[in-house]
Amino acid sequence: MEANTQPTQAQTGKQDSGLKYVASFALMILLTAVAFAAVAMNIVPQGWVIPLILVLAAVQVFLQLFTFMHLDLKKDAVTVSFMVTGLFIGVVCAVAVAILV
Amino acid sequence: MATIVVLIVFALFLGAILTGGYNKQMLARFRSHWLWDWITTVDHKKIGILYLIGGTIFFVIGGIEALLMRTQLFYPNNDFMVGRTFNELLSMHGTTMIFFVAMPLLFALMNAVIPLQIGARDVAFPFLNALGFWLFLCGGLLMNLSWIFGNAPDSGWTNYVPIALNEYSAGTGIDYYVLGLQISGIGTLIGGLNFIVTIINMRTPGMSFLRMPLFTWTSFVSSALILFGFPPLTAGLFLVMFDRLFGANFFDVAAGGNPVIWQHLFWIFGHPEVYIVILPAFGIMSEVISTFAKKRLFGYTSMVFATLLIGFLGFMVWVHHMFTVGMGPVANSIFAIATMAIAVPTGIKVFNWLFTLWGGKIRFTTAMLYAVGFIPTFVLGGVTGVMLASPPGDYQYHDSYFVVAHFHYVLIGGTVFGILAGVYYWWPKMFGYLLNEKLGKLNFWLFFIGFHMTFFIQHFLGLFGMPRRVFTYQPEDQVELINQISTVGAFLQAVAVVVLVINVIYSYRNRVPAGNDPWDGRTLEWTITSPPPVYNFAQLPKVRALDAFWHEKMNGKKELEPAEPVGPIHMPNNTHLPFLMSLAFFVSGLGFVFRSNEVGALGLIFVFLVMFMRSFEQDHGYHIETDEIEKTEKGASV
Amino acid sequence: MSAQVDRTDASAGLPAHPERATMEGRNKVLGFWLLLGAETVMFACFFGTYLALRGSSMDGPTTQELYQIPMVALSTVILLTSSLTSVIGVHGMHQNNYKKMMFWFGVTVLLGLSFLGLEIYEFVEYVHEGHTFTGSAFGSAFYTLLGTHGAHVLFGVTWITTLMIQARKRGLNLDMAPKFYLASLYWHFVDVVWVFIFTVVYLMGKVS
Repeated sequence: MEANTQPTQAQTGKQDSGLKYVASFALMILLTAVAFAAVAMNIVPQGWVIPLILVLAAVQVFLQLFTFMHLDLKKDAVTVSFMVTGLFIGVVCAVAVAILV
Repeated sequence: MATIVVLIVFALFLGAILTGGYNKQMLARFRSHWLWDWITTVDHKKIGILYLIGGTIFFVIGGIEALLMRTQLFYPNNDFMVGRTFNELLSMHGTTMIFFVAMPLLFALMNAVIPLQIGARDVAFPFLNALGFWLFLCGGLLMNLSWIFGNAPDSGWTNYVPIALNEYSAGTGIDYYVLGLQISGIGTLIGGLNFIVTIINMRTPGMSFLRMPLFTWTSFVSSALILFGFPPLTAGLFLVMFDRLFGANFFDVAAGGNPVIWQHLFWIFGHPEVYIVILPAFGIMSEVISTFAKKRLFGYTSMVFATLLIGFLGFMVWVHHMFTVGMGPVANSIFAIATMAIAVPTGIKVFNWLFTLWGGKIRFTTAMLYAVGFIPTFVLGGVTGVMLASPPGDYQYHDSYFVVAHFHYVLIGGTVFGILAGVYYWWPKMFGYLLNEKLGKLNFWLFFIGFHMTFFIQHFLGLFGMPRRVFTYQPEDQVELINQISTVGAFLQAVAVVVLVINVIYSYRNRVPAGNDPWDGRTLEWTITSPPPVYNFAQLPKVRALDAFWHEKMNGKKELEPAEPVGPIHMPNNTHLPFLMSLAFFVSGLGFVFRSNEVGALGLIFVFLVMFMRSFEQDHGYHIETDEIEKTEKGASV
Repeated sequence: MSAQVDRTDASAGLPAHPERATMEGRNKVLGFWLLLGAETVMFACFFGTYLALRGSSMDGPTTQELYQIPMVALSTVILLTSSLTSVIGVHGMHQNNYKKMMFWFGVTVLLGLSFLGLEIYEFVEYVHEGHTFTGSAFGSAFYTLLGTHGAHVLFGVTWITTLMIQARKRGLNLDMAPKFYLASLYWHFVDVVWVFIFTVVYLMGKVS
């Protein structure tokens, strides 16, 4: 097992490097910080806060899906379409239950 | 005290299982019993048969409930089954027929046929497939136990709150509904997920998406609806459970709750549900009509896209069940238009079936009779559906027998006719012998006439003002004759079902091997022996066109070209864990029903324990060797 | 290029994407994604219920009185970080680096546990302030949504721990790889739900 656990030359430094994870993590933290700041401090006009933080959350979700969870629009077209359908139906459900009562 | 006893029994049970049983001889006898083979099976063909048996048993129960109700309504002021008992009958009838009859019977056909139609040796998750079946059975049994312990669910199959809350429905009735559906719902979700992955990943070489038989296509879309439709039900059932068992306030207006939330969650699930049960029936009809008209299905591609469109629109129309809630004209209009839009793809399908029949060489077998009977019947149900989709009209029809007539036209005229057609059509593939055609035709005509007699007249019953779900009426209401005709029709349907049972027994006694291809079929399932060997295809077939088998027949060949050389076939091992896990769910459900949360929690812990046991198990299955395959194949051809 | 990678990987024991190397693995990955799609809809329903009932706090504290931004920020950072550590764990698996994988999944478990600790502490706080499950419709909806998410975190922690125990015995192979991959997908999903929870529940509760 010891021998097996050593990474080989070809694998390190391939496109699947850890760097992109760290970069997108930094971006997520940034988005989160902006959302918290928008709520905690009075820097955004009153009516814009909720739309802004919702958009930030949506961006963050797509970051998760396509970097951390390795979704690929071309290779996993079926998975992506099921996931997008799920998100769409989820949004419809949540909005309807929240509003139409 | 009772809790302690249960705890001790449970601990013993646990110990016995973890140590592999204290009596090895007993265990060995257990394992060699034929029942053990069925309990542990992961073979999709056997699971299909299990679903068929389970669904049929519940069909009989649900049918008896319907007959009792119709008997009560035979005379005005009858006192045969009144008040709460009648409410229990109608609630259990609806719930049973939808969840424990329509869906499992469709799952039976899907299990038996889909892997064969796409040229697969098995489903993607054999373990989960077995788990799905056992969960369905446990859920169904749990719910029907309520008849034995008294206090069956009595708030209708829609289980509207606040009627279904403790305040108005004390006792354990609704708890059976909530937990039974929760458990069987998990099973259904698992089953649907399994079929989606099977269809996407396990198709044989050459079987592209647009070469898949239509039954596979509609089952695929129906499974996708299950995938996204059942979670809202799960969520809603959790809310009702928390309200009833743990004192939550989701629906209690006094504590700020809102009962409309349940209606939304239920119908967000409930409307896709009717498409879940009708789409596979559409698929069966397409297969049957194209086979017995000896023609390629007219407009195959448009059929596929119509199916997808129905599936998508099916999610966007649930509010038409709630027009009278009072959400305002804007919401009602939007959902009314969306609802009417569904008539377009459905119409496409109806015309495609008619054009397939046009100029075909039609053989009126029993399956074909059901398919041909289905078309006008379903159109009737569809037309009343469009009537109900218009909010002003709906305010008039709402909660009357018109609605009852409408959904029975769709569910019986659509789904049940579809299932019966499918059963007659695929019976030889599942069991190796044909059902008797003469008895089959008798069965069809009795059922067809009985059905229309029962429900056609109920349209007028509704228009004359009889509300649904009432247990009696007055002589001066002048609906006696109509009710009596309807009741006679219901008994005619019961006779038809008896004929079907006789047919199964008679055909079994006088069985002759049906051979691979009794109907001169067009799709892959007819290329292999009936019933198929455990591995289905000795060599995976190479598909070269839509209606792959027919394509080869037209090119003068008797069978499909193999896509691979003969080699050892990998098969999954049987396992008893799905059964055990479902049993634990059952115990947990029963615990919660009896308000013994310790037992409920213990059951759940046991569920997770089995899950981890499964995770640690290294089960790589086994291989069927080449010489054994050759022997089986030779035996089959002789 | 890819052929070369395959060869070097084969010498190291596992192919480049061990989770998709077998039919079983491919089925599992697709099936798990579908399950996540279903869970999305279920959580969406709980979110809708919460949004519909969040104003019904009755005698208890309202959202604005209740929520503590610093604590939520801390939970968020912990969970986001754990998402990163689990993806590094998967990265280690792709590099066929057993030690790296185990280390980072271990960190993920620890972060998950500390998140759970914080959440329990938070709930105890709220109950003291009169925000209970049975007190109001808002309380019921809040604890159901947050509790379901918390239960997912707990399940994820247990799952990853179980897998690590298995991997200690069996090492990293084609059987274990899909399992770890799914666990990390699950973990990211739990994180995605949290992104919506801190946005929709906490931040929006502070705004209005």
